[in-house]
Amino acid sequence: MGFKTNANIYKNRELRIYKTFVTGNRQTVGFHHHRFSGARTVHTGAPLLGARLLSVEELFARGSLQEYLKRLEAEYSECLTLVNHSAMEERCSEEELRAKRSRVSLLAPLVQSIRELDTKHKEITETEALLRDEDPELQELAKLERDGCLHDIQDLRQKILDLLIPEEEADLSDLILEVTAGVGGQEAMLFTNEVFDMYHGFAQHHGWSFDVLEHMTSEIGGLRHASASISGPESYKRLKFEGGVHRVQRIPKTEKQGRMHTSTMTVAVLPQPTEISFTINPKDLRIDTMRASGAGGQSVNTTDSAVRIVHLPTGVVAECQQERSQLKNKEKAMKALRAKLYSRKLEEVTSKRYNQRKVQIGTKGRSEKIRTYNFAQDRITDHRIGMTVHDVKSFLLGEELLEEMNSSLQEFSNQETLMELLGENDQGGS
Amino acid sequence: MWRRSLGAGCRLFGCRSAVPQGIWGSSAVRACSAPVLPALSITALQAMDSWRKHFEERGVPEPEESSHYIMAHLFGAKTIQSVEQGKLTEFLSREETEQMWKLCTRRLSRMPVQYVIEEWDFRDLTLKMRPPVFIPRPETEELVELVLTDLETMCGTEDALDALHTCVEVGCGSGAISLSLLRSRPQLKAIAVDQSQQAVDLTRENALRLGLQDRLQIHHIDVMKDPEAALSLCTRASALVSNPPYLFSEDMSKLEPEILRFEDPSALDGGEDGLNVIKQILTMAPKILSDHGRAYLEVDPRHPSLIQQWVEVNVKELRYVETRHDITGRPRFCILQKRELIQGPRVGSGLRN
Repeated sequence: MGFKTNANIYKNRELRIYKTFVTGNRQTVGFHHHRFSGARTVHTGAPLLGARLLSVEELFARGSLQEYLKRLEAEYSECLTLVNHSAMEERCSEEELRAKRSRVSLLAPLVQSIRELDTKHKEITETEALLRDEDPELQELAKLERDGCLHDIQDLRQKILDLLIPEEEADLSDLILEVTAGVGGQEAMLFTNEVFDMYHGFAQHHGWSFDVLEHMTSEIGGLRHASASISGPESYKRLKFEGGVHRVQRIPKTEKQGRMHTSTMTVAVLPQPTEISFTINPKDLRIDTMRASGAGGQSVNTTDSAVRIVHLPTGVVAECQQERSQLKNKEKAMKALRAKLYSRKLEEVTSKRYNQRKVQIGTKGRSEKIRTYNFAQDRITDHRIGMTVHDVKSFLLGEELLEEMNSSLQEFSNQETLMELLGENDQGGS
Repeated sequence: MWRRSLGAGCRLFGCRSAVPQGIWGSSAVRACSAPVLPALSITALQAMDSWRKHFEERGVPEPEESSHYIMAHLFGAKTIQSVEQGKLTEFLSREETEQMWKLCTRRLSRMPVQYVIEEWDFRDLTLKMRPPVFIPRPETEELVELVLTDLETMCGTEDALDALHTCVEVGCGSGAISLSLLRSRPQLKAIAVDQSQQAVDLTRENALRLGLQDRLQIHHIDVMKDPEAALSLCTRASALVSNPPYLFSEDMSKLEPEILRFEDPSALDGGEDGLNVIKQILTMAPKILSDHGRAYLEVDPRHPSLIQQWVEVNVKELRYVETRHDITGRPRFCILQKRELIQGPRVGSGLRN
C-alpha cells in the first residue's frame, strides 16, 4: 500500500526529513506526518501544468472524497446484508454471492477505519467542551487527549488513503532495469555508468538483490548499455517511477575547453513476470551460442559462454554473457527476454490508463525527459512533479535523496490514482 | 560474436613502455618464447590488451576472453565485468604483473583457460580444475538439467523421497554431474566411479569444497577392465548418468591443442565408432538399475540411432525411451529405462522359446 509504505520506511529507518512543498505562494506539508523537523529542505520549483501534491487534510476537505467514502460504506452495508440474508433465502446466484463476499472482505478494513475515524471525530468534539473547563488540570488533560485524537485522526486518514489505492498487477513483481546511453557520446556513457551505479546503490539501500545481466562498457570507463535483474519487496513498485530519459548538464571529464555539455541516458524498468502469469512457447525461440558450429560436445572446449535468445514472432532479443556457465547465461537471458515480452504485453493494457498522467510508466515514459542532473547548480530536478533536491553527489549514491525523490513520485502517482477514483482529473483546483 | 570490447585505452602502451618494440616483434614470435615483462608499470586494461594481441598473433583461440578471464582471476573475480571499473585503469603492482605474465604464458602454450586459472563454473557450482582431468562442457549442464527434471517427475519435489534414491555416475571426471545432482537434491545419494586416479582425487576434492562428501561415494574403477567391481558396489540405483568418452578415434587427431595436449584422452576417445564405453555401460545398466530405473547418456550426435538399434538387439532388459537435443539442436542425449522383469512361471515358459 503506497502511502503507508512510505511512512513506514521513514519510521523504520529513523529517516525523518522535513519536507516542504512550496507550491506557488502556498506552503503545504506532504502526505507524511512528520514529527521531527530535520536535516534537509526540499524545494519544488514552479510546478508543471499546475500539478501539486495535496496534504491529507486538503484531501479530506474535499467533498468528492467524503462522498466516495460514503458510497463505499453504503456499498459495504448493502453487500453485507445481502451475504447474511441470502444464506437463508437464496435470492442470488452462487457467483453473485461470491462476488459480494469478496467485496465485503475487501471493503471491511476500509469501513472499519472510516468508522474509527468517525468515533475519533466525536471524541474530539467532546474534549472541546473540557478545554473550556475552569480547572487548569482538567484543561491540561483535555489538551493531551485532544492531541492524541488529532494524532489518531491523522493516522486513520493516512490509512484510509492507503486502502483506497488499488495494487497494480505488476506491483508485486521483481524487475529488470535497463540503462542505455543516449545523446552525448562518451560523456553520455560515463553518466550511464553513474546512473547504473546509483540504482545498484538504491537496491543495496533497500536490501534488494542486484544481478547484472548485460554490461557493455565503453573505452574510458563508461557504459553503453547494461541491464540488471532486481528482486526484493516492492522493488518494481518503487523503481517503476524511474523509467524515462535522464539528462545531465555538466563539464565532462573529456572536455578540454571547459564547456558545459548536455547529455542523456534512458532508464527502462520492466516488471518480471512469474512463471505462472506469463508463458513463452519454446518453439518461438532461437538460441544462439558460440558452440553452434562444428560438432560441439567433448570435441570443443570454449570459455565463451554467451547466450543470445531471439523471440521469433516479435524479434525481441535478450542476451547474457555475465556468467562462466552457459546454462546460467541462458537462464539470465531468458529472464530478461520474459521481462521484455511481458512489459510489451502490459503496456498495451496500461498505456490507455496512464495516458493522461504526469507520472508516466511504460513506453511513453521512456521517451520523455523526466529528470535533470545539473552539476553546476548541484541540483536534481524531476520535471514530472517539479521537485528539486540539492547535492548531486549524494543523490547518485542512490540512498536518502533518491529515496526522497522516489517517495514524492509515488505519493504524486497515488494522488493521481485517487483523483481518478474520485472522478477528479482536474488537479489544478483545490 | 556480440561480445563487447574492453580494449582500447591501451594505445598509449607502446609509447609508455621503455622496452623496445622489437621484443614483442617478430623475433620473439619466431622464438616462440613468452613476451618479456614490461619494464614500467601498466594498468590492467593495458595488460589485457597486450596479451590479447599476443594471443591473436600466436593464433591462440578466444584471445580476448582468455586475457579477460585471467585478469579477472587475478582480481579474485569471475568475470572482468564484475571487476570494479576503476581498478582496471589503475597500475598493477609488480607482483600482479608478474602473475599475469606467468598465467598468460601458460595460456600461450595452449593450456585451456580453465586449467590456467584452476577453476570453472558448472551450473551453479564453481569447481576446481586440474590437468588432465576432463573440463566439463556446457552440453553436460543440460544433461544434468534433464536428469533433475526427470527425478522431479519420478519423486516429486519432496526431499524425503530422495533419501530412497541413489544415482550412479560412470566417468565422473571433476565430479560436475554427481555434485550438481547432490546440490540440487539435498537428500539424494550418489556413487561416482572413474578409471583415472586423478579424476577420483579431483572429484573428492570438489566434493569436500562443496560440503557434499557425505552423500557421495567415489571409487577408482575402470568399468572396461573390471565391470564386476562396479556391479558389486552399485545396485538398485534409480538413475545411471554418464558423459562417457564418445569421440570417434579417427577424430582425436583433429582436436584443438587445448584438448589434445592437456586433457586425458581416455576421457574423450570412445574407440572406432565412439561406442566402446557406451556399450559397456549399457550392458551393465540392467544390473545397476532398479526396476524402471533410467540411464541418461551424453553422446555424439551420430550415436542415438546407433545406440537404439544396438540396445534392441543386445540388451533386452533396456527400453530406449527417447533422444533429446542440446541447446544448438543436435541430438545429444539418450534416455533408456530398465523394463520390469515379469516374475513367476510365465517368465520361465517365455524363455524356453
